[in-house]
Amino acid sequence: MNSLWGIVFKKELKDLFRDKKTVITSIILPLVLFPIIFGLMGKSAKSSVEKVTKEVKIAYVGEDNSLKKFLASAPNIKIINSKDYQEDVKKGDVYLAVVVGDRFEEKLSQDKMADIKIIYDSDSGDSQTAMSVVRDMINAYKEEVVKNRLLSKGIDVSILNPIEIKDEPLKKEKANEGALVLNMLLPLYLLIYAVTGPMAAAIDLGAGEKERGTLEPLLTTQASRMQLLFGKLCAISVMGIIGTTSSLTGLMIAFKNSPDFFGSANLSLSVGSIALIGLTAIVLNMIFASVELAVSIYAKSFKEAQTYLTPITVVGMIAAYGTFMLDVKNASIMLFNVPLVNIALILKEFIIGVYNPLHISITFAWAIVYILASILFARYMFSREDVIFRT
Amino acid sequence: MIEVMGLTKKFKEVTAVDNISFKVNKGEIVGLLGENGAGKTTTLRMISTMLKPSLGTAKICDLDLIKNPDEVRKKIGILFGGEVGLYDRLTARENIKYFADLGGLSNEEANRNIDMLAEMLDMKEYIDRRVGKFSRGMKQKVAIARAIVHNPEVMLFDEPTIGLDVSSSAIVQDFILDCKKRQRAIVFSSHSMREVEKLCDRVVIINKGKLVYEGTVEDLKNENNGEDLERVFLRMVGGKNE
Repeated sequence: MNSLWGIVFKKELKDLFRDKKTVITSIILPLVLFPIIFGLMGKSAKSSVEKVTKEVKIAYVGEDNSLKKFLASAPNIKIINSKDYQEDVKKGDVYLAVVVGDRFEEKLSQDKMADIKIIYDSDSGDSQTAMSVVRDMINAYKEEVVKNRLLSKGIDVSILNPIEIKDEPLKKEKANEGALVLNMLLPLYLLIYAVTGPMAAAIDLGAGEKERGTLEPLLTTQASRMQLLFGKLCAISVMGIIGTTSSLTGLMIAFKNSPDFFGSANLSLSVGSIALIGLTAIVLNMIFASVELAVSIYAKSFKEAQTYLTPITVVGMIAAYGTFMLDVKNASIMLFNVPLVNIALILKEFIIGVYNPLHISITFAWAIVYILASILFARYMFSREDVIFRT
Repeated sequence: MIEVMGLTKKFKEVTAVDNISFKVNKGEIVGLLGENGAGKTTTLRMISTMLKPSLGTAKICDLDLIKNPDEVRKKIGILFGGEVGLYDRLTARENIKYFADLGGLSNEEANRNIDMLAEMLDMKEYIDRRVGKFSRGMKQKVAIARAIVHNPEVMLFDEPTIGLDVSSSAIVQDFILDCKKRQRAIVFSSHSMREVEKLCDRVVIINKGKLVYEGTVEDLKNENNGEDLERVFLRMVGGKNE
């Protein structure tokens, strides 16, 4: 690789890899951030649910009756005597209070409707967890009452359930659940990474070169502007792809390590899907790398480049979140002609293992157009004297 | 060696350099003197092919810069004033080597030249250290080495001593005189008549993009009856300003 652009490429990569800031923010941080965040979130959510369900502390207000006995019979429910249940719920001494209406037992025995109030704290997650435990218990008690009423009249309980619904997913394996999560998250993340991954490098290699005063000496060398541009572009794309890879690796580790947070999503992708997704990610990175370099070379300084690049981040975000909920199966062919949306859609297809030749050719044809257009844009910027010498 | 022929540069409505012509011979230092914004940097940028002239051209070692910009760039070295413009995360050697590689030198040639320059500029001690923590003087030497690593026949200096302390200025001035000894053709831009007087054989004074004087420093002195040249310069550029 002794061509001039190759020399530029190698030097830029060496320079970028020696920059601790770039290495930490674009490679190390994305790798460890997700596992740590999701790990902690999953753990704390799990431990708090565990804590509550292990011992559901409730206050019971009203007559001593069979409901109280039924609740107390549950091994994890602990009835605590409370003088001021409202205050105790507020303070969190009990998670909730069950307030039984007047003549509760009597009404039930007369086949009348009796009432119960559950006082809980809507701001407390623990209180809500306890609520679902207690509700389940009361529902079980209710069913018991209904059953007894029907039996006393000689009617079978099954009369209440004339229809039974059975869910049967199309695919038998559990993979479905994982694919659904992946289908929403992966295009979102890949788009965001493609915007943010190359950014630090693009700013450094464009505006940074100007700010350091290294651009002018560079322009007096044998390397033409196109060779400089191409070398830089390749280095920035590589950084972007490395950033995306490390972010995705981090995400995968998070998925695997924190089933509490993501549920038991089974993320199995075929080799073909992975290869196509990888290719799409490379294409996305190249598009944003050249647009970002073009903008960066126009800027006078790091700060200015950051300001100009913000709208590009916003465009990426809009595309990412706009397609987040989009269901690829119902997407019209027109959408495969909308920039970035088509890439998000094709990713969704690859994830569920759909390889539609028409969709693939439309999307990749457009992708080539985007890459060429963005390289031409960068080239236009590099060839303009007023841009290069805009200091 | 350098023959500037009617160089003109227009930026939209503004004519930054207006029909300038002069020559620089082998082993000669020509001072390009003018106030800030007179067009010195633009002229040097055109000679070094960074900017395309709107009109006119120049020949460097008989090569036309419009027809053969790549060949012309091989012949010239350029040293800028102000920020030295080095890559802080690379070592001094890597900084120089990058420009040697981009100058088309072979590996052996580049390494030989770098070792020679390290010896000549007394940089051996720190040649393999990253330049980020270098003093201004050390950085200046690296910038000089970078500018001549490909053995250019023509050297362009764009206000190279601007913002430098006395010892760093001395490094640069010694280097310019060394280039003259080695028979290079040298253009040296400055806004200080004192510096030009000290270093240059001939002087080209420009004001608002136009050439207002070309001749030897001696002639300029004689024509003005030994008057202080700083005053002569002020009168030349001031008179046109009014």
